[in-house]
Amino acid sequence: MAGKSLVITSGKGGVGKTTTVANIGTALAMMQHKVCLIDADIGLRNLDVIMGLENRIVYDIVDVVEENCRLEQALIRDKRHKNLYLLPAAQTRDKTAVQPKQMENLVKELKKEVDYIIIDSPAGIEQGFKNAIAGADFALIVTTPEVSAVRDADRIIGLLEAEGIKDPEVIINRINPDMVKRGDMMTIEDIIEILAVKLKGIVPEDDIIIVSSNRGEPVVLKDNPKAGQAFKNIARRITGEEVNFISLQESSLFSKIKRIFNFS
Amino acid sequence: MKSPITFQVAKNGIVLSLDADAKFNNIKKALKDHVDTATNFYAGSDLYINIANSSFKIDQLNEIVNIARGYKDVNNIIFTSDVVEENIIEVKDEGENTLIKRTLRSGQKIKKSGNVIIIGDINPGAEVVAGGDIIVFGKIRGVVHAGAGGGSSEASVIALKLEPTQLRISKKIARPPEEDSNIKTLNPERAFIQDGKIMVEDFEI
Repeated sequence: MAGKSLVITSGKGGVGKTTTVANIGTALAMMQHKVCLIDADIGLRNLDVIMGLENRIVYDIVDVVEENCRLEQALIRDKRHKNLYLLPAAQTRDKTAVQPKQMENLVKELKKEVDYIIIDSPAGIEQGFKNAIAGADFALIVTTPEVSAVRDADRIIGLLEAEGIKDPEVIINRINPDMVKRGDMMTIEDIIEILAVKLKGIVPEDDIIIVSSNRGEPVVLKDNPKAGQAFKNIARRITGEEVNFISLQESSLFSKIKRIFNFS
Repeated sequence: MKSPITFQVAKNGIVLSLDADAKFNNIKKALKDHVDTATNFYAGSDLYINIANSSFKIDQLNEIVNIARGYKDVNNIIFTSDVVEENIIEVKDEGENTLIKRTLRSGQKIKKSGNVIIIGDINPGAEVVAGGDIIVFGKIRGVVHAGAGGGSSEASVIALKLEPTQLRISKKIARPPEEDSNIKTLNPERAFIQDGKIMVEDFEI
């Protein structure tokens, strides 16, 4: 069995990379896939907190590459799903503690054991980013409907192409249908027109995200109709299923997207 | 076979990178050949010799400098171990015209002495500098500079949609009006210098 590895990245910080990783990972695990999440944000780890696994960390990714422990020892099993694992980042070190080559080997090792490896990339384009993408087969770019986030996403797509990661896909996070309707927010159409990549998912803005992040319970665990459902749909698309985009209570917007990208 | 020496245009001059894995004699020969064929290559600019990742001896470095002195009118020869930024995309020089069949994304830069033709968009944050004309079968949203580096003020910029962050022709700089354009359709336009000002008109064939 050879698993797939994908990196979730964005360039800009604060657009929702870690939340996306936690939710897509949990959703894939709920679909009975074996999943491992890797937090590549060494020195500023968050994924463990959002997963509610912070107090279970003994060893981390730096311990693994420095051979202070075996890979299996560092993997933390999720408290809700036994087929979901987290490889946490080190908090007391920085990005230079891991080299891209080591990351590549690590992912290769994990691929033998799990179906999906999801790598949480740090913000920025420096070494942390290079480490995060080193072992990835595919990339998902998270952006929000803001000019600066889209600009950074564009830069990241260019860098990924240069690194040989072709055809990244984009997740548009935190879209506010009312603001779009009023013309106060970039539309999905605007964003896709600039980035010229395939749309993987649209996640509406949802206050529950903040609550669930603080509690360490990814929103997909609950029967949440907005953000939770959006993340579940993205997970299903990752497995190759065709899933319609959720309606943002605005049928015209929805039909436009379908027209451009011929999703059926 | 891969050449043991490569050239890249950088901000302050030209960077000559030496392949760390190549034999010293091959590097010497390749450099000598280049000096013989392109004596004026560095005229008026600084030459940076990038020795990152390589382990030359002092007298070998001396030999390299001695060969590089064969370039005429080079300002300074400077050693550097900085890894050259990869922002500048290497594009094969097709004589005077360069054809690029892709969209340029934020952070990517094309710099050419001749004309540049792009099939794709120039996204915000990307930059195209050409000694001659810039023709884009797509949208210009980044920075474009036609007639750069002492190029002609006759140079022009043509695009299916002209919404640059900034547009420069020769020594003139212009930026688009502040208000948002609401035109969603493509509208071929041409920018050029007239009476010392950058003008934009509908491009009609």
